[in-house]
Amino acid sequence: MIAMVDCNSFYASCEQVFRPDLFGKPVVVLSNNDGCIIAANKEAKDLAHIPMFEPVFKIKKQLQENNVTFFSSNYTLYGEMSQRVMNILSTFSPQTEVYSIDEAFVELKGMDYVDLVEYGFEMKNKIKYWTGLPVGVGIAPTKVLAKLANKISKKEKEHDHVFVIDSDDKRIASLKWAKTKDIWGLGKKHVKKLEKIGVATAYEFTQLSVAWVRKEMTVVGERLWRELRGERCLDFTTMPKPKKAIGTAKSFGSKLESLGLIEEACAYYISEVTEVLRAQKSCANYVQVFLHTNYHSDIDKQYSNSCTVTLQIATNDTFTLITEARKALRSIYKPGYRYKKVGVCLSGIIPQDYVQGNLFVNINNNKNELMRIFDVLNMKFGKSVISSAMLGTNKKDWELIKNDRSSFYTTQWKELLEIGQ
Amino acid sequence: MELFQIFGIIPYFCNVDTYNLGKVKRTEGRHAPEMSKQTGFPSPATHYLEAPIDLNKELVYHQDATFFIRINGNSYKEYNVFDKDVLIVDRSLKFYGNRLALIIAAGEFDIKAYKDVSAENEILVWGIITYIIHNTL
Repeated sequence: MIAMVDCNSFYASCEQVFRPDLFGKPVVVLSNNDGCIIAANKEAKDLAHIPMFEPVFKIKKQLQENNVTFFSSNYTLYGEMSQRVMNILSTFSPQTEVYSIDEAFVELKGMDYVDLVEYGFEMKNKIKYWTGLPVGVGIAPTKVLAKLANKISKKEKEHDHVFVIDSDDKRIASLKWAKTKDIWGLGKKHVKKLEKIGVATAYEFTQLSVAWVRKEMTVVGERLWRELRGERCLDFTTMPKPKKAIGTAKSFGSKLESLGLIEEACAYYISEVTEVLRAQKSCANYVQVFLHTNYHSDIDKQYSNSCTVTLQIATNDTFTLITEARKALRSIYKPGYRYKKVGVCLSGIIPQDYVQGNLFVNINNNKNELMRIFDVLNMKFGKSVISSAMLGTNKKDWELIKNDRSSFYTTQWKELLEIGQ
Repeated sequence: MELFQIFGIIPYFCNVDTYNLGKVKRTEGRHAPEMSKQTGFPSPATHYLEAPIDLNKELVYHQDATFFIRINGNSYKEYNVFDKDVLIVDRSLKFYGNRLALIIAAGEFDIKAYKDVSAENEILVWGIITYIIHNTL
């Protein structure tokens, strides 16, 4: 059996752990740059007239009138709380697969004589007790069914956030409960296709012939079909897959015209992504830089462009990549526009041991050592304790706006939760 | 080699591999006092070396359930908790006996000993205070 555990309104719940005055009250978390709502707790969702994913400036008044508390996103806190949840889950099974910041699969092999409902409640209660975060648990023979069980555990109140599909009757009842759009991994296109032939529930989907499913929905659809019928097709991967491309793009805190500041932001993003690249022991062949103005603005002139550079030799060296990205940026930058966002993306990612040499270029191995020391120092003494001078000193001029960020309660000694008076 | 590292004599970003070759070589960037494995009198402490005390290990019983919380003001004097103290709070422990807890009453954090909790007031235990860190300087 497999358990799928996920945290309820994770970001908002993290904030509430440290704010008992907000228990039972509506809380929302805003995206980077405080642009729009990306997470809301149950109380906030119940205020149905508040639209999600709307730009915040349009609904700020509405939020305030309804006493909704809003937070800028604090990924440092969410990441640390997530780590706690995952650590606790790993005490329940030797094999857990972290699926996202707030979801994990837990392999429950050889537990035929364990009461799984009870085991599910044990997981749920321990996480709630230890971290303060509420979770839902779905247990079933396959991943897709576990994901479905998890959904049912939340939607149907009587299960109290733990639901187990451990018999064929329960499996069929669950499949009849689920609409096709509730099936994990089934895209909109396929839902429409199924709708056309009159398939509305997951159960009806599993009654189609395997030949039809394979023909119309490829092997991916067939896997879902089999998983829903209780046959394991999706592997349990305990190691995250190396990424194929790594990118980052964030809006500036304010619109920027000056090339200097945009270059600094670009260099900063490069140093962020190259760190990820080195952590997974890879090198990139291509670096892409893109730049654009604010699409939503009616008064500004619009411009956007991007440029991809092919590197002579795949690398994960921050300095080389900053230099190349800077050249690319200069080639697409046009003065006179008010830019909203710059982004970088590294692709053509290969393991660092497989880097192909180039007859006309020397590979400088000293640089690897430099980068290693870079990473060690930054790990030991804090982020960006050492960095390329290209990152400049004007970060606050382009940095994201996070006006309502909560403290780094769990990672910064100076920002601990304070109580009294 | 491990022994040197434990004592932090050699910053660990130095190139320590050279020590494993059997010959003592000087490495660049080594800011530690000279110490050799081969010549001179072997340290009498060789077989008695242990890792230095790690407060995280000693004071934090359940890392995934432990939070640090700073006190502002002197309103918890009765429990010997003073301004600027830092509490180590373990959420995994039960509240009974002589234990001191960080609780929530009427949406506010507070500190209470188990014996001072009366049944009438509805409180929520947030975590058990395992240590109070007080700076005496």
